[in-house]
Amino acid sequence: MDTEKKAKILVFSTDKISDPAIDLAGLMKIHYSPTVYTITVPCSSSIKSRWIMHAFEKGYDGVFIAADGTDCPYGESCSELTGIIVGNTHELMKAKKIDPARLKMAAVCSVCAESFVKHMDSFTKYLSKTENTN
Amino acid sequence: MKKKIGVYVCHCGNNIADYVDVEKVKEEIAKEDGVLITKTTMFACADSTQKEVVDDIKEHELDGLVIASCSPKLHLFTFRNVAERAGLNPYNYVQANIREQVSWAHSNDPKGATEKAIHIIKGALAKVKLSEALTPPKITATNVVLIVGAGIAGIRAAIELADMGTYVYIIENQHFVGGRTSQWNSLFETNESGEEVITRLFTELKKRENITLFTGTSINSTSGSVGNFEVKLKISPRLIKMDCVKTDDAEFDKKLQQAIDICPVEVPDDFNFNITKRKAIYKNFKSEFPKCPAIDDEACTKCGDCEQFCEAIDLHQKEEFIDIKVGAVLLATGFDPYEPPKGEYGYGEIDNVITLPQFKRLIELDENELIYKDKKIKSVAYIYCVGSRQVDGENKYCSRYCCTSAIHSSIQIQNKYEGITSYHFNRGIRTYGKQELLYKESSEKGDIYLQVDEENRASVLVENGKTIVKANDILTAGKEFEAEVDLVVLVTGMTPRAEKRTGEILKVPIGRDKFFNEIHLKLKPVETVIDGVFISGACQAPFNITEAVKLALSAASKANTLLNKGEIELEPTLAKINKGTCDWCDECTKACPYDAILKTDLDGKAVAEVIEAKCKGCGMCLPVCPVDAIELIGYSNAEMESIIDAMIA
Amino acid sequence: MSQEKNQKQYDVLVIGGGIAGQESGLNLANSGYKVLIVEKDLSIGGKMIHLSKVFPTLDCAACITTPKVSECARNPNITILSNSEVLEIDKKGENEFDASIEKRPRYVIEDACTGCQECEEVCPIVVDDEYQWDLVGRKAVYIPFSIANPRVAAIDIENCILCGACEKVCSADAIDFTQEMEIVNITAKSVIVASGYNLFDPTQIERYGYGKFGNVITSMQMERQLVPTRPYNSVLRPKDGKMPDNIAYVLCTGSRDEVVGNPICSQVCCMYSTKQAQLIMGALPMADVTIYYLHIRAFGKGFEEFYQQAKGMGVEFVKGKIGRIAELENGNLKLRYEDIHEGVVKEAEHDLVVLSVGILANQLPRDLFKNNNLDLDKFSYVKQIDELSNPAKTSIDGVFVAGAASGPMDIPDSISSAGAASSETASYLRRSK
Repeated sequence: MDTEKKAKILVFSTDKISDPAIDLAGLMKIHYSPTVYTITVPCSSSIKSRWIMHAFEKGYDGVFIAADGTDCPYGESCSELTGIIVGNTHELMKAKKIDPARLKMAAVCSVCAESFVKHMDSFTKYLSKTENTN
Repeated sequence: MKKKIGVYVCHCGNNIADYVDVEKVKEEIAKEDGVLITKTTMFACADSTQKEVVDDIKEHELDGLVIASCSPKLHLFTFRNVAERAGLNPYNYVQANIREQVSWAHSNDPKGATEKAIHIIKGALAKVKLSEALTPPKITATNVVLIVGAGIAGIRAAIELADMGTYVYIIENQHFVGGRTSQWNSLFETNESGEEVITRLFTELKKRENITLFTGTSINSTSGSVGNFEVKLKISPRLIKMDCVKTDDAEFDKKLQQAIDICPVEVPDDFNFNITKRKAIYKNFKSEFPKCPAIDDEACTKCGDCEQFCEAIDLHQKEEFIDIKVGAVLLATGFDPYEPPKGEYGYGEIDNVITLPQFKRLIELDENELIYKDKKIKSVAYIYCVGSRQVDGENKYCSRYCCTSAIHSSIQIQNKYEGITSYHFNRGIRTYGKQELLYKESSEKGDIYLQVDEENRASVLVENGKTIVKANDILTAGKEFEAEVDLVVLVTGMTPRAEKRTGEILKVPIGRDKFFNEIHLKLKPVETVIDGVFISGACQAPFNITEAVKLALSAASKANTLLNKGEIELEPTLAKINKGTCDWCDECTKACPYDAILKTDLDGKAVAEVIEAKCKGCGMCLPVCPVDAIELIGYSNAEMESIIDAMIA
Repeated sequence: MSQEKNQKQYDVLVIGGGIAGQESGLNLANSGYKVLIVEKDLSIGGKMIHLSKVFPTLDCAACITTPKVSECARNPNITILSNSEVLEIDKKGENEFDASIEKRPRYVIEDACTGCQECEEVCPIVVDDEYQWDLVGRKAVYIPFSIANPRVAAIDIENCILCGACEKVCSADAIDFTQEMEIVNITAKSVIVASGYNLFDPTQIERYGYGKFGNVITSMQMERQLVPTRPYNSVLRPKDGKMPDNIAYVLCTGSRDEVVGNPICSQVCCMYSTKQAQLIMGALPMADVTIYYLHIRAFGKGFEEFYQQAKGMGVEFVKGKIGRIAELENGNLKLRYEDIHEGVVKEAEHDLVVLSVGILANQLPRDLFKNNNLDLDKFSYVKQIDELSNPAKTSIDGVFVAGAASGPMDIPDSISSAGAASSETASYLRRSK
């Protein structure tokens, strides 16, 4: 396997929607970087900016929110609220001179295994590149 | 902080062990603080392993348990049960997913997979160390259901709930029960009339002692939440005392008729969809319930002429309010037929254009000959999808019942009267399922079917005093077709009830079609996002009678299951407010989709408080708090941050 | 009484572990009743668990069924007998049904098997996989499908050569060739018939060439190609593995057809075809999809909007009656049809034809009851004797019907019908207590 250091990504995924998609990616043996770590929350609009900032402080290269989108079992306001969290966190990141592109969000439905892996691949690629240029 | 944790790393046959160096994982994890036992196992889910884990927990008095195996979606409950069997709180168990998210996802990179497995288990350890022993909070629940709407759905649900041991209040905002069903005559596919069905069911309902009916009644306000709603009912004046029916039927009928005869007020009869008139004192049909007639408060001039025939008449009755306590509310409020605006296919402008509900009443009223506005009807044109499947209008949906209903009526008039020609200008007949047989029967009887589409619809016009329907028929390659008819029936669909207040009071969400919306068509078809508020029947979407009844019975079953234990167990994952930090700002109440946060007072300081029975544990309130005063049990800052730390350490 | 003392007693016997059986079983179990679900297949889940995304919300069928399936398996009030069939039910009196159930051997000890699939790897026999509608193969020892419940192996003894390879490799010692057929006798206080439906076999319509022309498939075979756990991981024509780019759907195959003896409408084909068309447009963005129909029956909540959405996406809807299908040399198919809009007979070439097969009654309930007559309607569905106000009531007091056993039905209708059955059963049990 390649020996280059891979970007460490923290994924916030949701118990009912995106977790099953990430599991499905495994079931279908579609591979992505093994330095992607998942932490489960009930809903993507419950993620606090301080957790994300904490992750950057501790050395994660990227944070990805696998959002419920319109599938959220808790209601329609989810997409909008998650968007606000990302916006607020981007501000905090800018203040600390962290590249805002290191926080990404995309809706991942419960069977969106392939799209999850695509997101991980491109995010890993992006983060590895920025690291090299840094 | 837990100090005696047991960790079990599963081989899952070769599913994990082929790609993850299970022994190495075990060695690394054994070094972690607080870990007392580390074992590997061929199959964690196997009975023998489960027994071993139970024994270990008991023998070593473990205070935390981590099993690193498959996805928690598969075995979380299995292993929580293992913990429980050993006397460990199930919430002190955490599952580490090293199969779906490690060995399988990284089967191309065993070294990376092994590293990741170690990190994932460390994360699980961090979570288990801070985990609290949780007991699901329980609230007491009143085994009483309020059913709103005494149409067929409401009545059926009431009978079933009563038989299952739940007390039922059923309210109807009209003065009589039966809803739309009682307005329909012969019904597909049993050919019973609506009156018969309602009379039969209501007789059943009256036998139940644990059902209380209020007519002329609606919800005025509610408070409380699932298990314990307090509802204020508003009873509008009937102007006749309900106990008026004392004498035998013949005597009573005579008196009633005299009272009706003398009443000077005439208004359009909405029971007959305004094709006839009725007096201010009225009853719609003989076997109607309650037996006591009613006086239309709005129309009545309070002249008092009727009082001479009946001492029970009380024109001074005022509206009344009653408070009841119920555990759940079931809305079975039904639909309103689509009312075409003036001019749609000549409706309201051309004399002999009527709607399907009006036509159905007409068939009921005309015994031997079909006569409308003094004209004997020899030919009828049906125009389908009026108010449904609109291209320009708002009602994009199909109303489901109308094709069958129109065809059924058409067959009925063939059987009841002689020599009527019927033209059906449809947009594709939707007699789904066994209803297909009706379509076949009607075609065989000689009904003429002409198909139009969205772009080329039929038009109704008057030429030389004659009513003509024109269309380009798809079935004959778009040839123009014209029919002169005596009556045009607009096959109108269903619309949501014009009365919106009930839904608004209970905060029931509405869908894009403006009907009430269930949580999920397949998972929770009669539940709403408001816990304890159920919906069923045509208030959800157009349905025929059987379908509405099925939904009503489903809702009865769900409501009974919810309440019959006398208490409701809630998820322990709830939001918690740190009242010391909270500086009431209202942001959390705005973010909460369930109205689960209230303003309360703490020693003179306004603070937020979570209503446990309403909180669903979504956590939407967490990030919006400007002073970080809200935590979700199981997802506290300490837990989340220590997991984040552990996975990268 | 000649009854054996140790005969197991249940409040409700549910025949069929599909969505209707699960839903009614769960409702009753959650109200405290003891439920036995008897399922003829190796796993509960019925037809729904094999479907891809379902109309009109396009959520995945497995995501909806599997939680219900595992809830059934976990519920302490529910016992499941899979790979079993009810042979006969005898009503002895009110609240007393004696049933004998045939439990077929699995040759695998259910409690011991962990579903690791190592046996599958070593088994030398490959046969058609019926759970993938024969699109691919499976071994003679096999886990029926990835989300099966119970997720344990079974041996297809007909095809097994008894080589013993599985027995050797099984680390859980779960293989047991000595298992035999068992007859389990139980009593139940009530019965719910939720035996579902059968799919129409299109070989009956010879002019469509199913079974003869490799690229004429059924809608179920297309469905399997669209699920996340699909066999080829893409949509392919079975004959040559080519990716199709011009697909035709033939609606009303075996429905609304007097000639095959099924004059009624199957209620689901219009919508599942419209759904598949939408999914195909996602999977094969370059493909054209044409649906040949007589009437589009988009009647349920959100259906019409879903149909309009498909039209908006570019699915071609042609009002036309298919006369016959012929196979060309390159495996493509020529459809001869009457274009109803234009009133002429036309021909069109497609490279894959999907027959939207209809729903037929399951014949199982027909002779199930001894000494009592379970009335059927003229299409062999269980007759609802009070359809308007007691939709689950049958001609035998204490026997109720749920889901497509009483007629063609989509998933939401089956679920509400199951809700009605559980409610009527619960009040029957309480009334006659």
